[in-house]
Amino acid sequence: MAINAVARDTVFALRRQIAKIEGTLSERLEAPAGLDADRMLVRRSGVAESHGLLATGADHFDAALNGGLPRAALTEFHGAETRDAGIVAGFALALAGLLLKTAETPAPVLWVGTAEIFREAGFPYARGLETGFGIAPENLLYAEAPKVTDALWIAEEAAGLTALSAVVLELRGNPDRLDLTATRRLHRRAQAAGRPVFLLRQAALAEPTAAPVRLVVAPAPATLRNTMAGPLEGTIGRQGIAVAISKSRAAQPGQFTLEWNPDERTFLDRKHAGATHQQPWDIQKRAEDPVAVVPLPSSGTDPAAAARPVLAFPPRQPPPIGDQPSRPQRPAHRRA
Amino acid sequence: MISHRDRNAQRIAALDERAEALRLKPGMGIADARAMHPTLDIVEADPQADLRLLESLADWCDRYTPLVALDNTDGLFLDITGCTHLFGGEHAMLDEILARFFHQGFDVRTGIASTAGAAWAAARFRGRCIVKLGEEEALLAPLPLAALRLEPTIRGSLESVGLRTVGAVLAAPRAPLVRRFGAALLLRIDQALGRQNEAVSPRLPIAPLSVERHLAEPIILIDDIERLVFLLAAALKTDLERRDEGARTVALLLFRVDGVVSRLVVGTSRSMREPRLILKLFQEKLTAIAEDFDAGYGFDLVRLAILATAPFDMHQADLTDAVEDSEENLALFADRIRARLGEGAVLKPIAVESHLPERAVAVIPYWQDAPQRISPPKKPAGPKELPSAVPFQPERPIRLFQAPEPVEVPASEIPDGPPRQFRWRRALHRIAKVEGPERVAAEWWRKEEPTRDYFRIEDTDGRRYWLYRQGFYDASKPPPRWFMHGVFG
Repeated sequence: MAINAVARDTVFALRRQIAKIEGTLSERLEAPAGLDADRMLVRRSGVAESHGLLATGADHFDAALNGGLPRAALTEFHGAETRDAGIVAGFALALAGLLLKTAETPAPVLWVGTAEIFREAGFPYARGLETGFGIAPENLLYAEAPKVTDALWIAEEAAGLTALSAVVLELRGNPDRLDLTATRRLHRRAQAAGRPVFLLRQAALAEPTAAPVRLVVAPAPATLRNTMAGPLEGTIGRQGIAVAISKSRAAQPGQFTLEWNPDERTFLDRKHAGATHQQPWDIQKRAEDPVAVVPLPSSGTDPAAAARPVLAFPPRQPPPIGDQPSRPQRPAHRRA
Repeated sequence: MISHRDRNAQRIAALDERAEALRLKPGMGIADARAMHPTLDIVEADPQADLRLLESLADWCDRYTPLVALDNTDGLFLDITGCTHLFGGEHAMLDEILARFFHQGFDVRTGIASTAGAAWAAARFRGRCIVKLGEEEALLAPLPLAALRLEPTIRGSLESVGLRTVGAVLAAPRAPLVRRFGAALLLRIDQALGRQNEAVSPRLPIAPLSVERHLAEPIILIDDIERLVFLLAAALKTDLERRDEGARTVALLLFRVDGVVSRLVVGTSRSMREPRLILKLFQEKLTAIAEDFDAGYGFDLVRLAILATAPFDMHQADLTDAVEDSEENLALFADRIRARLGEGAVLKPIAVESHLPERAVAVIPYWQDAPQRISPPKKPAGPKELPSAVPFQPERPIRLFQAPEPVEVPASEIPDGPPRQFRWRRALHRIAKVEGPERVAAEWWRKEEPTRDYFRIEDTDGRRYWLYRQGFYDASKPPPRWFMHGVFG
């Protein structure tokens, strides 16, 4: 790491020239060993830390992002509507779960939001975050701010802390305070601390910010549950996530459908997972063929849990023929 | 003149000297007073406001002693034991108190005595006198019975038998007095004469440590206050070190020249000594109140008090001092946010054992420790015990609405089945896939809550929701309601 600034400048100038000749971006060129300056070198107590990239595990998506999402940067996640807040937060928290999985000593994730967004989109639920993304309750902190200004202040203070593994800042709409300056401050602090800041923007329009990467996240239909007897009709398996790269210095714009595997805690490309495009579930089928659903543990290490009568959905007995429910008992749409 | 309502009649509650000069008396009917002097200015009494004023005066008197107690609605007790030398003796202190109250526009009567009862009598019946130890009897003897703080009924019956001064009661034999007028009379006498202890309970708990600085020239600027906080905190540090403790709650009291006292309190997540960190917390607090911070004519006394302490765990940094204590940084970060935005700004979830989803997680402030009783102690693993299976964890949403939102379900499959479509926040959602029901009932000791059937639902766009139906379909009852409880990620 003993390359001085002048030498580094020269190397970067040469890289830009090569990139011009090859007709590509200099960021997409293979980084020379020992020089990772584009992703910021931080010297802390005399040792340089390289932060690198956070690979999601979905190959196509990682390749399009040139290796993954930056670890020490501000990353924007956009959702089109407030009701997409679940999937947008889920995607960011899944990334935080990935970070925790690779970390030696898990540090807390701080979720900052305004009171408004927590009321409109729901308050974070630690049980779901634990089962879904493997973030234990002791590794979770919430900060609820009354105003956007306060939320930005909290996030800014938190972004500089190395005691947190990630900061999630959730805002709704396009507040004036979240301008180029505010995002730049967040980005610089994230770079200095070497920790990611995920900026979740619900129901917001894209506007210029300092974040190097902006992803637009939307829900996609889930796959079927994988059981011993193959995919089971009428079940909800892994959630699909439609991610569009809307801004990135290194990547090309693109649209990807990812799948989060909560057992292995990794992302998959939907095409790689080989999911068939299933038919919409026929409601009548369930009445004819009642089946107890037992989810197949994907890791294959947990037969005990499946053997127990966990949440096997009890098969409902069809009513005997001729025994019609009385009129008020029938649902409204079947009342003749 | 101030009026109040007493037994359905407006009567005079209090009046000033000019009204007194007109031969009006407290307790007189307002109608009579008006008839005598039609130009009277009468104001309705406001006991709440009086109490607030008295409390603010008590706050201000904190500058003389930390032990300030309210005496009914019209007096203050100041326990000045050991404080007088700071103000140059009892006389000088009395003069200063009177002068300061006079400049604030108050007319006060004071008395200093070695017992609370004698001081009370001295203040009310003598005014501005200092009763030395042992002179209580001489002071009280010529005074009327009201000086003994007696109930009006006891006083009335004493007067009816001709005992009109304290001296007469003191001269009477004790045993018949008790028999006839009760023990309360002798208790008051003994308290006034110092034969029996009287506890004066202070308004505020006494701070274990506090330092203050009197300023000759009042300060106005926030920068000056911050500099002073740092100096005071540095003075406290040595005391804390001697006690081997750190501060958990620190209060900053700013005494304004005109008698208003500002009290800023910050709490810390872990015990703290460093003046720099204490200053940081107060900076956040001062920033938070910057808009309605009114320095007026300045502050002439600044006090930093430590209200709660906790043991301070020392730990040695390595020689290079390279490793940052990240845990400590996090605690400081949480404290700063708490100082600026209030108690509930940084929260942490705690898993609680409960079937009900909203009870299964408790969210508590960051600096609080989890209560011990919410989860049973873990059994120590015996040598023969098999590794337990992974506990079954049902799928749960990642966001939960704090209050489940009612949804309109126009049609559900067979009465107890899932809905086909639902309307939530005025938007119609068509359902593509359903899993469920998962029946969640409250714990057996909460019988009144109906069971819920939860359904995991995916709409045609792929969003997943957690809906539940509260109760069952029953012909004789109104149909059960549906609620949206959470969304999955």
